[in-house]
Amino acid sequence: MMHLLRLLSWPLLALAAGAAIVLVTRSNSLLGMFTQAVIYAIFALGVGVLLRQNGLVSFGHALYFGAAGYGMGVVLTLGWLPAELAMPLVLAALGAAAFLIGLVIVRVPGIAFGMLTLAIGQMAYLLAARARGLTGGADGMSIPWPNTLFGVPQSVLLQPSVLFMVSWVVLVAVAVALACLLRTRFGAITEAIRDNEERARFIGIRTTVPRALVYALSAMVTGVAGLLSSLNTGFVSPENLHWSVSAITLLMVVVGGFRKPMGPIVGAVIYFLFKDLLGEYATHSMAIFGAALIAVIVFSPDGITGAAQRLFQRLFQRKKGEGRA
Amino acid sequence: MTDNQPSYVLEAQDVAIHYGGVKALDGVALTLEKGQIRGLIGPNGAGKSTVIDAITGRRPLTRGKVLLAGEDVSHLGAVQRRQRGLSRSFQRTSIFGGMGVRQQVELASHKMGVTDSAQDAEAVLQELDLARLGNAIAGDLGYGEQRRLDLALALVGRPKLLMLDEPMAGLSVQESLDLARHLKALTSRWEVSVLLVEHDMDVVFGISDAVTVFELGRVIASGEPAAVRADPRVREAYLGSAA
Repeated sequence: MMHLLRLLSWPLLALAAGAAIVLVTRSNSLLGMFTQAVIYAIFALGVGVLLRQNGLVSFGHALYFGAAGYGMGVVLTLGWLPAELAMPLVLAALGAAAFLIGLVIVRVPGIAFGMLTLAIGQMAYLLAARARGLTGGADGMSIPWPNTLFGVPQSVLLQPSVLFMVSWVVLVAVAVALACLLRTRFGAITEAIRDNEERARFIGIRTTVPRALVYALSAMVTGVAGLLSSLNTGFVSPENLHWSVSAITLLMVVVGGFRKPMGPIVGAVIYFLFKDLLGEYATHSMAIFGAALIAVIVFSPDGITGAAQRLFQRLFQRKKGEGRA
Repeated sequence: MTDNQPSYVLEAQDVAIHYGGVKALDGVALTLEKGQIRGLIGPNGAGKSTVIDAITGRRPLTRGKVLLAGEDVSHLGAVQRRQRGLSRSFQRTSIFGGMGVRQQVELASHKMGVTDSAQDAEAVLQELDLARLGNAIAGDLGYGEQRRLDLALALVGRPKLLMLDEPMAGLSVQESLDLARHLKALTSRWEVSVLLVEHDMDVVFGISDAVTVFELGRVIASGEPAAVRADPRVREAYLGSAA
């Protein structure tokens, strides 16, 4: 019972914090910005899990972010399925496609992998921009969400406070699910492959499939962010697939730190704080974010969460030392 | 041995690895009996590590066959060979630096299909005096401890054949002698056959049941340690005045 309580305490605290944010924030536009930050935090979790478990950097994850929106747009426009069924199916299709792509590209190490993800992502971008009949081309497409989703009327669901809370709950659920999954044997296997692929083979681990599975998992998490984004804006365009979206999310992961599960979330929050809050005072807020990025890479390669952990450990050790004296 | 049991744990027949015109290995034949330790010696570049790479499937054969307990494993990948009981350590320490010591040994044991992998891992850790470091992160261990962890990863699941590529490299004289004694006792108790590539002649001649000498990718002598030590070709080619 105590173990279960301890296990549930962080998610419950996080949910309570989300509710507190809604209660405290009076401005709808601010809540809208928070919602966007939460959606990108989920996106960053997807990119982060790939970096953390596979040691691979993707410059093309916007592919799965945008494809989730396009998938919903096409399925709902053609009236193939109800939205409630289409959402998990679109995610499953993204996961399956990413697994097949992963089986090929995860064999390629380092920067070449990054270039392949960039190439595949940009192919999707060009395809969406040119397939005018299906996707609306460069103008993008509106997503005909139904009037009620899971029994909730759109007028309620699209209220800033409700949409924020929905996104927040999804973020907490995704973070908890990832944390639980990576504590299993699957997590240990992928860590072993990341640390030393050759040694992994010589203890009997087949290395390609687990790496492709991590790639698929990261694509599905990114797809969840894409679904929420398409619900938030009701629109998807080739810009959602553009490499710059992948790059910005990768920056969030690097700034927040990919070694800690919370790192990508922290990175996304900091990015949006810089972009939207500082943007009101400084025209070149992104230049400041760039300078912050350089500082983080130079002084704390494991990001802000890594620096915070070191600081915490130092303080804790000093306190312990004083206690002994 | 009964008739239906293969005579050798390992049988390498006419093994050759050529890179263009360079013959890294040429016509190498080796056998290893159950529980036997065979030392492989020779000057740098003689082909000792390449033999281990050939047997484990790390490098494809140009010619020849590798039989493990009578089964031809020449066309199997590294994972399948490991699952059939063919295990190795590496010249440079090869562990999972970011993982816990017990966690990685237990994972290796699980991948070998051991039912109670936790118990198997604990037994191997105890055997190599690593149990007290079970919760440590492997990357934080000292060099000698990392070498033993490398050996532990190779030993889980009780392999039929263990190939050790310079396991004493970088260890102090005392650490080398301790590890050698330990290895001898362990292989005899667990009936593991060992192919040992090592530059420390005291260790090789001290614990091996048989020694094979390589030069330029070919076997120039093979037999009991005393006979090999006395072989004039070996003295001339490798041991020199040290013999």
